[in-house]
Amino acid sequence: MTRSGRLAGAGAVVRRRLLVAVPVLAATSVGMFALGAASPVDPAKQYAGAAAFTASEENLAQIRANWGVDDPLPVQYLRWIGNLVQGDLGWSTSRHEPVAAVLSDRAGWTLLLIGVTLALVLVGSLLLGALAAYRRGGLFDRGLRAAAYAVESMPVFWLGLAAIAVFALALGWFPAGGLTDVTATSTSWADVAHHLILPVGVLAVSQAPWFVLFVRDAVAESMRDDHVLAARARGLPGRTILFGHALRTALLPFLTLVGTHLPELVGGAVLVETVFSLPGLGAVTVAAALGSDFPLLAAITLVTTAVVLAANLTTDLAYAAADPRVRLDG
Amino acid sequence: MTTTESVSAPASPRVAAGQPLLTVDRLGVEFRLRDTTVRAVSDLSLTVRAGELLAIVGESGCGKSVLAHALLGLLPGNATTTGHAVLHEPDSEPVDLITCGQRHLARRVRGRRLGLVPQSPATALNPVRTGRRLLAETLRAHGRDRADAEQLAVDVGLDPTDLDRYPHELSGGMAQRLVTALALAPDPALLIADEPTTGLDRPLVDHTLDLLRRRCDNGSAVVLITHDLAAAQRVADTVAVMYASRIVEHRDTDQLFTAPAHPYASALLDALPDRAFRPVPGDPPMLTALPPGCAFAPRCPRRTDACTDRPEPTPVTGGGTAACHHPILPGATT
Amino acid sequence: MADLATRQPLLHLARSRLRLRLRPGQTGVVIAGLVLLVAVAGSLLAPLVWPLDQSAVALDQTRLAPSWAHLAGTDDLGRDVAHRAVYGLRVSLLVGAVAALVATVLGGVVGGIAGTLGGRVDRILMRIVDTIAAMPHLLLGIFIVAMLRPSLGAVIASVGLTHWLSTARIVRSELLSLRTRPFIDAAISGGAGRLRVLTRHLLPHVLPRLALATTLMIPHAVWHETALSFLGLGLPPHLASLGNMINDGQGSLLTGAWWASLAPGAVIVVVTLAIAVLAARWRDRLDPRVRAELHL
Repeated sequence: MTRSGRLAGAGAVVRRRLLVAVPVLAATSVGMFALGAASPVDPAKQYAGAAAFTASEENLAQIRANWGVDDPLPVQYLRWIGNLVQGDLGWSTSRHEPVAAVLSDRAGWTLLLIGVTLALVLVGSLLLGALAAYRRGGLFDRGLRAAAYAVESMPVFWLGLAAIAVFALALGWFPAGGLTDVTATSTSWADVAHHLILPVGVLAVSQAPWFVLFVRDAVAESMRDDHVLAARARGLPGRTILFGHALRTALLPFLTLVGTHLPELVGGAVLVETVFSLPGLGAVTVAAALGSDFPLLAAITLVTTAVVLAANLTTDLAYAAADPRVRLDG
Repeated sequence: MTTTESVSAPASPRVAAGQPLLTVDRLGVEFRLRDTTVRAVSDLSLTVRAGELLAIVGESGCGKSVLAHALLGLLPGNATTTGHAVLHEPDSEPVDLITCGQRHLARRVRGRRLGLVPQSPATALNPVRTGRRLLAETLRAHGRDRADAEQLAVDVGLDPTDLDRYPHELSGGMAQRLVTALALAPDPALLIADEPTTGLDRPLVDHTLDLLRRRCDNGSAVVLITHDLAAAQRVADTVAVMYASRIVEHRDTDQLFTAPAHPYASALLDALPDRAFRPVPGDPPMLTALPPGCAFAPRCPRRTDACTDRPEPTPVTGGGTAACHHPILPGATT
Repeated sequence: MADLATRQPLLHLARSRLRLRLRPGQTGVVIAGLVLLVAVAGSLLAPLVWPLDQSAVALDQTRLAPSWAHLAGTDDLGRDVAHRAVYGLRVSLLVGAVAALVATVLGGVVGGIAGTLGGRVDRILMRIVDTIAAMPHLLLGIFIVAMLRPSLGAVIASVGLTHWLSTARIVRSELLSLRTRPFIDAAISGGAGRLRVLTRHLLPHVLPRLALATTLMIPHAVWHETALSFLGLGLPPHLASLGNMINDGQGSLLTGAWWASLAPGAVIVVVTLAIAVLAARWRDRLDPRVRAELHL
């Protein structure tokens, strides 16, 4: 069976997933809208900002009418979701600019942080986890597992602050925050990279334990599989047995689980951005939350969810491409 | 059926025919479980000579496969191995497989000096690799040309086009032939074949057995682990009968099949369809609770009070050994 | 001869038991138990033995380094960090335990409905669970707090509404696997009603798992609460909570007074690690799959 033959059903899978995801996402948006509607915050006053204190009740009423906040809730919901679907994400009341503009300004940095971290975590965890599993119960295995359990109980923002205290303040190796040097007049990639080392490192270390422990257990299990024993009996080199056979078959379930772990990574990124004062979505989200900015918060949450769902779908398709036993149209 | 340039014919330096290749001395294997201990192999001694085909026969669960894994150092972590198993090499010092360590086994022994056709071929194949890739990888690891894969497939009776299938697309018999080809790829001086004819129809069984026989005739050695007595009779030089973790009789094939000395061997032969077709009475003992004396005594028609002491393997008339206080002597009737 | 043969396995058994008892994990469990005992006792008894005025400041004693007088130093308002950390832990454990309980009840109800009714209801509920699982916990939690305005209730709701998914999955799969067991069939064919089967036969099997899930949830609830407080979206800022303290201490950190921020965080690490270690040991006892690892 050829690979393209096995992936023939990919289109159908994508359609089937959408059929599930769209109604559930719609239901989730209803829930979020209901929560927003129940919120004690008056959107008109928020829109007016500081001016709300001096604005007359008449003016506020005018704003309410413009925004349609006095319409029945279902009408408001349909208008909101209709605009969302058409690409109009609404007006951010905390930043006083369109939500779409906020997202396009900020999302890139967050994606960069998450992308670089994920790549680092995947490579690192596959390597470390596989090595620990190869000498199961050995010194390296025990040390790695103890470290993983310890790191797993450290809140990422605490880890970030500790890293600042050590590497930025005590040793002075890296800047404590921001994306560029304060004296810099333009954005240079080398400068950005230097500023990103600490945040990426902290996020990677805080996310790594789950991945490392999973790989370690999966490979350790796989090392006892009949086909790995058979490969050893054939006298293949240790490297081939570990990476070509034990890791290769353990990798497949790992692939799909990476997708399910993405939400955790996004949450970690929000906290790391806050600790290191990075201009990504994290800081905006916190500001929006403090200002009860429903349109921006709802848009960020729904867009991230859609991205995660898309990533999950991608990993499933990758699984099908990597495992000859899986047939998508079956 | 054979082609003259068959690539499974031995080529690497060999111990001279008739010289000892593997000497196993009082080998024991125990598995430590949560609340009990299983003795899978006890006090097992035997010698395999270059050019010899030794068949180890016995009911399932008597420890045959554990013996194979113990020699290759592939037992799980809760196993304890005692005794010695010395592998003789043509140009260097003999190595004790039990004490030489994983590193030495991996680099010097497995594959090239000591090969294994594993039991249950369906699970012994990497599910995400085609047969061709597995064969090529094994050939390359042992410094051979990956193009030999096709010839190896032909040797074991596999259509070379089937090499491009994934394991789940192979029938049981095809998978069996593929694992045999994989074990032959490093051209091992000693090949342990654990039930290598599972799932094969009669002509392919004969084909595989002939293949193993030819390897011995060319100076290699084969240990054939099987419960198929007919197969053993067909190709083996000597046969070792295993019962409850021990070898109870080890003799030349002709002698064993004409005049078995141990009552268990005799009972096994009587169970053959072309003989009395009478199953061995009773059940084999649990390996967790082996009796201190002869393990076969509870099922044995010849048992006496002496059988509560364990019989040691002793020479019998015509060569070979049997571990029995009351061996069936040649000429006597049962 | 016979004596030797029977004694040898016993020797091996004895050696293996000895090794099991001395496993480092065992020491870890003892230490974890002690840590948790001290943490719980300390946070329960603190108001009696070491009362704290939440709003007191001492501006003449700001940013003092750790010493015998101030075990973890003082913060930029001159408040004793160790003293406030004890109260912070008290709040965090309380919020964590209540929120974990809320999450477990919510997850238990959803998983229970899906697992007992099965079929279409099960499919729909599980799709909802899958989709919510694709939403970043923290973002959803921030959204909930933002809409309800930061407060104790909002924090508990935020944890409860984002952490029930795993419990729902556990309860559902447990119930589905129990449904196929013969003793349930026997009870149903014996004329027992659905409710009776649920309360008499299914619940006793599921309850230990639920209790374990709640315990395992507490560290996550504590992290979630401290993360919200750290972002300024959690408990009221004057209240000594571990997240608030880490947030307050951020400014001091940049001036070199690392203890104001890192010490409260260390309390979280030690206590949640202790809970995780104990819960993991408990899970090992509950889950026969782990036990099977020792076998062939």
